[in-house]
Amino acid sequence: MTVSAQGVAREGVIDLSGGAGPLVSQRWLTERLRDPSVRLVEVDVDPKQYAAGHIPGAIGLDWAKDLQHPTRRDVPEPGVLAKLLGERGINERHTVVLYGDSANWFAAYAFWLLKLYRHADVRLLDGGRSQWLADDKLPFTTELPSFAPETYRIGAIDLSLRATVAEVLPLAVAASARAGARTHAGADAGAHAGAGATSLVDVRSPDEFSGKIIAPPGLNETAQRAGHIPGAISIPWGSAVNPDGTFKTEAELRKLYIEDKGVRADAPAIAYCRIGERSSHTWFVLRYLLGLRDVKNYDGSWTEYGNLIGAPIDKA
Amino acid sequence: MKVQVESERDLQRRVFDSVLDMLPDVDNPTPLVRVRDAVPSGSVLLAKLEWMNPLGSVKDRAAWAMLRGLEEAGELGPSRPGRGVVEPTSGNTGFSLAALASMRGYPVRAVVPAKVPLEKRLLLRLAGAELDVTNDALCPLPGAEDGAIGLARSHARAQPDKYVMPNQYENPNNTLAHEHTTGPEIWHQTGGGVTHVFAALGTAGTAMGLSRFLKAQNPLIKIIAVQPSAGHDVPGLRNVSELGVSKLYDPALIDRIVEIPYERAYTRAARLLRREALRAGPSSGLIFEGALAVAADEPIGLGVMIFCDDVLKYTASMAKHLPELGDAGGPA
Repeated sequence: MTVSAQGVAREGVIDLSGGAGPLVSQRWLTERLRDPSVRLVEVDVDPKQYAAGHIPGAIGLDWAKDLQHPTRRDVPEPGVLAKLLGERGINERHTVVLYGDSANWFAAYAFWLLKLYRHADVRLLDGGRSQWLADDKLPFTTELPSFAPETYRIGAIDLSLRATVAEVLPLAVAASARAGARTHAGADAGAHAGAGATSLVDVRSPDEFSGKIIAPPGLNETAQRAGHIPGAISIPWGSAVNPDGTFKTEAELRKLYIEDKGVRADAPAIAYCRIGERSSHTWFVLRYLLGLRDVKNYDGSWTEYGNLIGAPIDKA
Repeated sequence: MKVQVESERDLQRRVFDSVLDMLPDVDNPTPLVRVRDAVPSGSVLLAKLEWMNPLGSVKDRAAWAMLRGLEEAGELGPSRPGRGVVEPTSGNTGFSLAALASMRGYPVRAVVPAKVPLEKRLLLRLAGAELDVTNDALCPLPGAEDGAIGLARSHARAQPDKYVMPNQYENPNNTLAHEHTTGPEIWHQTGGGVTHVFAALGTAGTAMGLSRFLKAQNPLIKIIAVQPSAGHDVPGLRNVSELGVSKLYDPALIDRIVEIPYERAYTRAARLLRREALRAGPSSGLIFEGALAVAADEPIGLGVMIFCDDVLKYTASMAKHLPELGDAGGPA
């Protein structure tokens, strides 16, 4: 969406501070490029993008090296992340504005990660890197920022933002049982879980959802089995954005996720993908742009679930 | 695209003062050659051998037109000392640009998706280009920016003293090159008899320029775009669903889009070499498949197929798609 002057399009959904919501506009950012309380951070799918040029003052973080545990397929340990952020000149009181390539794909993952560690004020730049690049009047540089180191006091992981397999598996088993009952009854009654039941949103590509492929070609982290978690709704993450990388309007998103696809606005939701990055993007949409109160990212995602012995899996 | 006076390009004897004089135009067209294998009777198909361009592909035309345009606009040349070009490219544009720009004294930086064959990347280095290899295919996002385009644009935006981006996806000279050369060549070579033109879509420059020129001569000429199936692995080409990156593409200028399972680009290219001694690359194989598909529906009076480049720089890709090639005896 093209956000109005102050980036307040999301005001009232979640008002973190200062009147602007978590999704901010280019104009909101340009007015704050020299604001010492703001730290701008770029996270790209391809880290070469940052090196080739970035918004002045932007700190570059590498999603693979900086924002993952090096060996455990997990988020970074708190001490490690705190040290990194502090060294780059970020403390926990800064307003951190994230942006990146591919419609903020990995920037949204960084957003989730910072919220997971309870960073108070995190924003996402609508349109991300490509929209900024598209406007020749906006400044762009290869100069690296040099902020004095800070001490980052990191919080404990906020488990209300993260789903684990222990939470997902019972949902899958129940959905699978409902589907079985439906088959025996020969009716479509009971197709959906009852009111208040958690929506599982699979944000991978249709071919991954249907089980035609296990993962996009050429990727290392993968599962042994193909398909999706029983009961999951397929809404590829890219459906939330316009071709220019900006988010669709709240009305469009509401229609897509809630009215058309059946995500429950008044119930918990869990988003998953292959390794938890694409689902961070959808997590952001559900939590902040649609205002669902209880949204978790299942970052174990298909790479974990699709390797579980005996787990129910649906195809097609 | 008249770059030299006639006396400096002796077309009769094929003696040229410079490679620039070899660049094709209506007086010096790339050849048309008839292809017979698998063509049903009642249809005539001619391949336009774009690998006969001096640097080996159809992209010579756009590369030179864009470079000249930048020189004429003062974006390159004596008024901008030290400035070079940066371009997102699947290889051919980069190779033509690199060689032609180097010849003119401009540095070149090419941004290349990782799926581009190694041979093509090495050719870019040989032609003097600095290389950035991007990994676009991590998880394609429908409609969003192409990583290579974004990266090239980043260099041009962040270092405008060092780089200007010709930008084949937006530069009108890309289309104009075909409106001014390829189109008139085909019209003249066929004596105005061309009925169908088959082209693939990459930037869409070829199809757009051909359509503009040829339909102005005869609105009945059909311009047919041949595209690989989604999820394809044919370097340089795009499925229409991926064409959001091109600002040149106007669907109104295309009469029909034929989609071909992309693997057939490779099997057909091999067969063209074996049956017709045509060293056609995979995109040419795909275009020929598209023409055959149309010929199965309707007779093609006189069809011209744009054979973009040859197979010589795709041996690794061919081996990947044609298991019968085996390992050819393993590494030397």
